[in-house]
Amino acid sequence: MEFYNILQNLIGGASVGITYGMVGLGVVFLWQSINRINFANISSAMLSAYLFYTFYTQAKLGFVFSLIFSLVLVAIYGICLRFLIYEPISRRGGARLEFVVATLMICVLWLNVIIVFYGGLPKPFPHIFGEATDFVRVGKFSLPSVYLYIFLVVSILVFIIHLLLRKSFIGKALRATAQNKDVAQLMGINVDLTTNLSFILSTTFVGIAGILLAPIYFVSLELGGGGIGIKGFSAAVVGGLIDPYGTILGGLLIGIIENFSTFFISSTYKDVISFFILVIVLLWKPNGIFNWTTRQETLL
Amino acid sequence: MRKKFKLIIYSLIFILIIFYPFIEKNEYRLYVMNRALIHSILASGLVFLTGFAGQISLGQAGFYGIGAYTSGILTVNFNMPIPIGIISGTVLSLIAGLILSIPSFKLKAFFLSLVTIAFGQIIWLLISNLQSITGGPRGFFGIPLMYFGKFIFNNKAYYYVFLILLILTILIMYRIKHSYLGRSMLAINDDDVAAETCGISSRKGKTFAFGFSAALAGMAGGLYAHLAGFLSPEPFVFFESSKFVAMAIVGGLRHLSGGVIGGVTLTFLPEILRLNYRGWENYYLVFTSFIIVLIVIFLPNGLGPSLFKGLDKLWEENGMSSQTLRNIRKSKK
Repeated sequence: MEFYNILQNLIGGASVGITYGMVGLGVVFLWQSINRINFANISSAMLSAYLFYTFYTQAKLGFVFSLIFSLVLVAIYGICLRFLIYEPISRRGGARLEFVVATLMICVLWLNVIIVFYGGLPKPFPHIFGEATDFVRVGKFSLPSVYLYIFLVVSILVFIIHLLLRKSFIGKALRATAQNKDVAQLMGINVDLTTNLSFILSTTFVGIAGILLAPIYFVSLELGGGGIGIKGFSAAVVGGLIDPYGTILGGLLIGIIENFSTFFISSTYKDVISFFILVIVLLWKPNGIFNWTTRQETLL
Repeated sequence: MRKKFKLIIYSLIFILIIFYPFIEKNEYRLYVMNRALIHSILASGLVFLTGFAGQISLGQAGFYGIGAYTSGILTVNFNMPIPIGIISGTVLSLIAGLILSIPSFKLKAFFLSLVTIAFGQIIWLLISNLQSITGGPRGFFGIPLMYFGKFIFNNKAYYYVFLILLILTILIMYRIKHSYLGRSMLAINDDDVAAETCGISSRKGKTFAFGFSAALAGMAGGLYAHLAGFLSPEPFVFFESSKFVAMAIVGGLRHLSGGVIGGVTLTFLPEILRLNYRGWENYYLVFTSFIIVLIVIFLPNGLGPSLFKGLDKLWEENGMSSQTLRNIRKSKK
């Protein structure tokens, strides 16, 4: 138990955690625009990872094109989610619960589709972020270089999100819609467009997170199954389901806690510990710990 | 004439249910039917929890697992008789349900569902990691089958045991629905602040609903353990919980028959879709979830109310019984 051990765990946890934050951002964007939780949120991560694998390794399209193609397809999937699932359900008077069950079943559907088309075995992710055995070594400190790449890419993305939300008109429109849909519409904001946009942003961010997580988890069904998705939800809850920065911070926190519980207690029970912390946070502060945006009075 | 028609149809359904094991020659299909009855008991608990009391639980597989493993461990390791195993499994998951109802006082909808997901995941991780007790992924073998005297139960006997338990469940649910407690639950579901101002304790209703549905899930788990004879962590994963909620929704949340219809439909759906064409072996899973999504989108009230509405149209009765509360509210608007 020395200093470099702690530092190693801290950075490793932070870079996985920040991707959990990205997954949480998907939840936050949808919650802000339609007040619904998409339980198939994490499926877009799996989809984009598999699409990237198909384009890059199987079709050999090159890095840039395969990235663009897979993200565009995932964005289109977001639009489809709105017009094929959300709108029909709300038109027939379905409430939140119906949306929850529909999205849960979509999550199962995508898992099964992937099993049918790719088989259940994990695929190796192409070595874009260096080999899996590449380590960054400074003295006694050593860390797989993948983690550093992930941290770097997500930090840049977070900065772009910050610019998008705070400095552009689109971000202003999105935030206005989140606060009050009707008044935003009165002020001349195209709410239909912002809803579309938040669906696109939601699935795309989770898609990017999926591609970034793939070197660690492989291109496998684990990307679309329970574990990571629930950690994404936890990150969103820490941010009070409304604050993007709080969500990223929450993801960081979860990743670090998870890594340290692996280090101090045991790796088999790391998920138990993180879920336990989630329950405690929910009971202690249902409005989120890092929530600076708005206080939601009623959490319906 | 029409009334006679109604009598004939209902008695036909009744006879079909009673004599099903003698009509069905395929042992595997009978086994699936037994599983379906277990799922119906569990889904009825969810109908009670979600439809009547308005609470969400996505961790029902956790209670199911608690019931199954408690009964299995007690009967195998401690040589207890089977009824005691099932009852103690039921009681243990009842206690777990009562504990889980505490967050529901403060949290709603999504946040509550997250807590229940976390609960289900914790139970699942414990089952798969406490290998010395549960056997972990290798499975837990040698659970005795039910017997009476020297007669070891076959699928037919199981069918009647489960059927009786299911009918008892539905009867209890019917009685509760029309009691003070049930009506107060419906009030809490509509608006819990308004219900509180009328002097209804929302905590009491929520606690009762959680405890009842957890106990039913625990009982279903115990029954499953003694039907299958061995246990592995697979039937208790998170996606099974979501399947149970899907059963309740597909059957119809505000209808007593919802759990039964949803449970039987969704248990048989993969079996029906498992066609024997070449290259079709894997596709049935895709189509199962696809059909569930379609049902949820196009029949948000569930199959149960629609079925009874269709039956009522046969003899042109516009009985209110088959209408769900949501429909009534909509027609008033």
